[in-house]
Amino acid sequence: MSLNVQKIREDFPIFKKQTSGKPVIYMDSACVTLKPIHVINAINRYYKEFPACAGRSIHRLGRKVTNEVYNSRKTIQKFLGAKGINEVIFTKNTTEGINLIANSLNLEKGDMVLTSDKEHNSGLLPFQLLRRKGIGHEVFKLGDLNDFQNKLNKNVRLVSTVHTSNLDGTSNPIKEIIKLAHENNSLVLIDGAQSVPHKEINVRKLDIDFLAFSGHKMCGPSGIGALYGKLDLLKKLSPFIIGGDTVKNSTYVSYEEEEIPERFEAGLQNYAGIIGFAEAVRYLTKIGIKNIESHVIDLNRIITKRFCNLGIEILGENEPEKRSGIISFNIKGIDPHEIAGILNESSNIMIRSGMHCVHSWFNANNLKGSARVSLYLYNNKEESEVLVEEIKKICKMM
Amino acid sequence: MICLIALVVFGILGIFSATHRKIAREAFECVFKRIRLKPCDSGLDQRLKSQIMGKLLRRKPKLARFTFRHFETISWIFTILMIVSIIYSGIGIFNFIIYGNCDGENSQEACVYTGLGDVFKINVDCESPLCQNKECSCGDEIGCQEREGDICKESCYIEGE
Repeated sequence: MSLNVQKIREDFPIFKKQTSGKPVIYMDSACVTLKPIHVINAINRYYKEFPACAGRSIHRLGRKVTNEVYNSRKTIQKFLGAKGINEVIFTKNTTEGINLIANSLNLEKGDMVLTSDKEHNSGLLPFQLLRRKGIGHEVFKLGDLNDFQNKLNKNVRLVSTVHTSNLDGTSNPIKEIIKLAHENNSLVLIDGAQSVPHKEINVRKLDIDFLAFSGHKMCGPSGIGALYGKLDLLKKLSPFIIGGDTVKNSTYVSYEEEEIPERFEAGLQNYAGIIGFAEAVRYLTKIGIKNIESHVIDLNRIITKRFCNLGIEILGENEPEKRSGIISFNIKGIDPHEIAGILNESSNIMIRSGMHCVHSWFNANNLKGSARVSLYLYNNKEESEVLVEEIKKICKMM
Repeated sequence: MICLIALVVFGILGIFSATHRKIAREAFECVFKRIRLKPCDSGLDQRLKSQIMGKLLRRKPKLARFTFRHFETISWIFTILMIVSIIYSGIGIFNFIIYGNCDGENSQEACVYTGLGDVFKINVDCESPLCQNKECSCGDEIGCQEREGDICKESCYIEGE
């Protein structure tokens, strides 16, 4: 089913705004997506109607927030296909989720962690830090199962990999990776920051051990994310950040841990964010993740075809179907930052440029960076045409 | 080179606006790095270049193409022009203060500062050749006047004052 993009765009207040007489053409959704009015209203509702804390106070407002947070957790549990509501931990973002696992998994000296070569800094640096404790770290080529198998050995306790790369949109075959890792008795942590907003993911069907993702990349508010973990595995984790609401009781010398997931949610939580996040999930579910996926691939196909005609170098897979909503490219003779700046100035087209927090890959490949177009449900064919025309002008300018 | 131009332009604008002050500071850091033969990594040059190119591309694509291809040369030309004009302005101001005419001693040329009024109402040094023997020979542009209380009774003033 094709999306009614025109109707969807009406949900996003930003499109009513014009800059220099031109509408906003937002193509930086791999960084942060735009917010529909439903999400904005949900956040406002918390601040206007029940701005209290959850899980602590017994007054009416406190109970209301507790219920709202419970419902939000339930929404996300259903969205992921998780077995229980306590398998969903609210975090600040994907980065926090990955750090939580890296620091709570009780990895020991001699253990190994395997990551892909296109990890976001958030999926790479936590494991570089673990080297100080004598925990090894090895890199395999994203999408290359042979390389993955070669690197997999009995010391590998954790495979932490990005599902869809924010660099070029290429996806890892996680089903096969998970199967191989489990055969090796390794746990798997998936960075779903780019894939959860674009692909239908059922954690139980895929047998994922841990999955971290963010709200701000799926029409939700910033500063909120979630970490899924199998309950039996979560029970084995050590506390990461502890404090308010992570314990049932404490003395001057000891404490009794709270149940999961609260055990991992220290301090007062971002309730407005949690409620807004769940609203975003409901919004996307209503539209259909599969519909969104095929819509962005359609747009990617149009842009890729026209870019190829212009002789533009696209990073990653050749087939747009394998790059989700991302087109990461370079034009010979012009810096990626200049491409982004010119598009912004000439036609209000907003794209990302640089190394996209994947410095490691760009440095290894001696590249200064790339310009990155990332699409989502609100982008349409007209916008894609404008982008292509502007890129054509830049190419002519060279 | 564009950072040097930006430093001067935004430095002046920065006197009046905090937004421009931030860019001026960035430009200064960039120029300072370049002086020490380090690369300017703030991205300011790219931002400025892309802003200019974006505007040109929207209005004059052919001019944009020319500018993009010769951006460094054009930047150099503007930098040299800027330096030359700063030097000339400095000399002009010096001449105006010393001789009352920005074009220099005994010049009959029109001075851009002439007619600026009270802002530049400055006594010419009595030892100046313009006022020797208490006789002014300042040409048509400058008249002579007597003023009580001045150390030099006769001096040169800008015409019309």
